[in-house]
Amino acid sequence: MMRAAWTLLLVVAGFALQAVSYFFLAAPLGVPTGPVYSNPRVPFAPAVFILGVMLVFLAAVVYELLPESGGRTHRGTG
Amino acid sequence: MSVQVQRLPYGVGRFQVGFWLFILVLLSVVGWGIYAYSRQLVEGLVVTGLRDIGTMGGAAWGLYIAFDVYFVGVSFAGITMAALIRLLRLEELRPVSRMAELLTIVALVLAAFSVLPDLGQPVRGIVNLLRYARPQSPFFGTFTLVISGYLFASLVYFYLDGRRDAALLARIPSPLQGFYRLWAAGYRDTPAERERHHRAAFWLAIAIVPLLVTAHSTLGFVFGIQSGRPGWFSTLQAPAFVVMAGVSGIGLLLVIAAVFRHVLGERERLHEAIFRWLGGLLALLVLVYLYFTVAELLTTTYTGHETEVRLTLALLTGPYAWLFWVSMGALVLGLVALLLPYVPSVVPVRVPSFRPAFTRAAGLAAAGAGLLLMIHRHGPRLAPAAGAGPEPEWVGWVLAGLAVVFVLSWFPLFARSVVAAGVAGGLLVNVAAVGKRLLIVVPSQTHGTLLPYGPGSYTPTWVEYSVVAGLFALGTLLYTLFVKVFPIMEVAEEQ
Repeated sequence: MMRAAWTLLLVVAGFALQAVSYFFLAAPLGVPTGPVYSNPRVPFAPAVFILGVMLVFLAAVVYELLPESGGRTHRGTG
Repeated sequence: MSVQVQRLPYGVGRFQVGFWLFILVLLSVVGWGIYAYSRQLVEGLVVTGLRDIGTMGGAAWGLYIAFDVYFVGVSFAGITMAALIRLLRLEELRPVSRMAELLTIVALVLAAFSVLPDLGQPVRGIVNLLRYARPQSPFFGTFTLVISGYLFASLVYFYLDGRRDAALLARIPSPLQGFYRLWAAGYRDTPAERERHHRAAFWLAIAIVPLLVTAHSTLGFVFGIQSGRPGWFSTLQAPAFVVMAGVSGIGLLLVIAAVFRHVLGERERLHEAIFRWLGGLLALLVLVYLYFTVAELLTTTYTGHETEVRLTLALLTGPYAWLFWVSMGALVLGLVALLLPYVPSVVPVRVPSFRPAFTRAAGLAAAGAGLLLMIHRHGPRLAPAAGAGPEPEWVGWVLAGLAVVFVLSWFPLFARSVVAAGVAGGLLVNVAAVGKRLLIVVPSQTHGTLLPYGPGSYTPTWVEYSVVAGLFALGTLLYTLFVKVFPIMEVAEEQ
């Protein structure tokens, strides 16, 4: 349950970061009528978008690696 | 210890003299590439053949960008195959799954490294991309979705898919045991863990397929939406990029699978059905690409803008004709080679047959003619420089003719062996892919300007060739080293 929650959180956070950086932090959408359309509204907005893409895929690692709820962990396999 | 190390499957952990020699050769080429790049960093892009479009009569994008597009294309095969194997349950292709995934990762690393030399100030380029890039721009899509998203997704998929094997290998005492334990991260291959992995891999595959189509399309859009550049501005650019990506990637995968089949002696696991399946898929993609090419040529020559027609004629009969026809010839020959094993024996097809001595002579002559051509021109010129003397065009055509004879002489073998046909087809379509990438990138800059400039030229220098050779060596090095520390195919429980 805990694992699923963390996974879902990462997926939602990843997509949210992508959407926020694309629509609100990066250069505005629309017909470019001035330099404001060329520069991001917040510096490093593209980096936030990339972080969002990575978070979505990182969710798969969390889903597989996070131990079962209740703190049960596996030690090495050797 | 050595007895235990030898228990690791698929030659993992076995380092013989031949291996070290191979690594030494690869390191030498990588070192030479780094030296060439250092010259470029110190002296600037003037040591390359890259020049401004129009005013300097050159091409600002050349070999580096062409190979960037090529490497991104090659990366297509890996994760696509892995995802399709998972989604469509193509179990018979599972043995090539990891090879394909590794090919994707290595190719994407090389693609990233190919772009950097094209930038005069690489560090500034990277920082400014993260700081100022507009997400609406296809350039941004290329570098975020392809280099970051696609590479990261591939690494995640590769890592999770390898945990089971890492857990199995961690049971065997070896110097790499700690590494395998770290990779396995507690995985014990219980039914619950297996089920969880299947579920995660399924959703990853679902997420990756649209990502990779988007990623390859954005690369096509970098060229396709430039309305002021004849030859690039085309709706077909993005789908053609995706299809050619599949062609080059699956072609290379066929070659890699054949190499491992031979080197590891795994004829049963890497069975002929795999080559038949991949060869069939490759042939289909080549047919689609040929259709796109014909459709594009018909459109541009029939009703195209004057500049568009001029550019197309430069490709068909002008200075780029040798590269265009060699690429198309390689594509068609590759297709024929791939289809030969499917010709039923009852169909009376006469496959040309040559004496082995003649074949070897043709191959040697082709290589010799190629060398002469390079020495004469100080590197293969993609378009004649303004004011340059008459070019020995016939040398190029003789070279192409000898190469065709050389390939034709192997046709009887291709008709008998689906593996040989796959290797030949894979190599030929990759020759075509490199040629087509160069033809997409360069001619539109030298012959496609709408401003009143005369035709330009582009001749790569030794620096560019050395850097590209270094990149190929680096890719081979990474692939080879990985194969020595981790099984290139899934490990069976009994192994």
